[in-house]
Amino acid sequence: MSCEEFEPMITGFLDGELTAEQRQRFQAHLEGCPSCKAQLAELRELKESLAMMKFKEPTDAELERYWSGIYNRLERGLGWILLSIGAIIVLCYGAFRLIEGVIKDPNVALVLKIGVVALVFGVVILFVSLLRERLAVRGVDRYSKEIER
Amino acid sequence: MEESEESLIRRCQAGNTDAFGSLVKMYAGRAIGAAAVLLGGHDDAMDASQDAFVRAWRGMRGFRGTASFYTWYSSILRNVCLSRLRRRKEQQGEEGMAERLAASGDGDPSVLVERDEQSKRLWAAILRLPVHHREIIFMSHFQQMSYKQMAELLDVPIGTVMSRLHNARKALRKALAED
Repeated sequence: MSCEEFEPMITGFLDGELTAEQRQRFQAHLEGCPSCKAQLAELRELKESLAMMKFKEPTDAELERYWSGIYNRLERGLGWILLSIGAIIVLCYGAFRLIEGVIKDPNVALVLKIGVVALVFGVVILFVSLLRERLAVRGVDRYSKEIER
Repeated sequence: MEESEESLIRRCQAGNTDAFGSLVKMYAGRAIGAAAVLLGGHDDAMDASQDAFVRAWRGMRGFRGTASFYTWYSSILRNVCLSRLRRRKEQQGEEGMAERLAASGDGDPSVLVERDEQSKRLWAAILRLPVHHREIIFMSHFQQMSYKQMAELLDVPIGTVMSRLHNARKALRKALAED
């Protein structure tokens, strides 16, 4: 194996992520490679610096503001859900009454009645198809799974 | 006595927003900092991390507790940040993104990291890295994920994770040397 092929192992070695066999081979290479040794020392220093880097902890007042920003969004989210449910019910009822009126009206041409029925079936099929697709994607969405520690 | 995370999670799953508030306050600092690693700016990081908490609340009933709350939350946060970066890229292009960050002064380290010189230099160097390097550094150093976990999340072999992380660290070291 060339030095270049061993290079990524420096990082794996530092993080304790090499297999026993990889570690053995890497350590044997390290003995005779000053370039990898130097890189290992530099990356070790970098890793230590990153571990020392601390983010500022927000003050109590900042935390309160931060939380109230989230709470407001949660509240608004609930508002939007209720608004959407209400709008769907009203629209569905309105559409039902309108379609019922058209179907029952003897003055409306048969072609129009067939068109309205086809429209309703089309919308239902599209909705069911979209719903099925969303549920299938949800089942295999790799971002929604929990990664075990 | 301080309430345990498990107990807070159980109360959240029963719909208690006060318990969720306690969880948020427990992790807010880490969440803002981690989001800033990917997004670069403090304001964007605040907004994205809040957005991720809202999503976490909505998905709380599905949280099974096989991972810690923060591990679970941080994968939501990562997705929120990456989709914001994608949107930014579509709107402004790579160069526009870099210019925006430089011009806004939003990446000012004193807002986010402790005031020591080394932290400031590191922060500035991280912000100069391309997104794919920042992403792997974010996962490894700010989420403390193992190679196996990163490989699962990125859907790549463990060897690829190792070489990506190695390249990212080398790029960071180079950025620090150019400072």
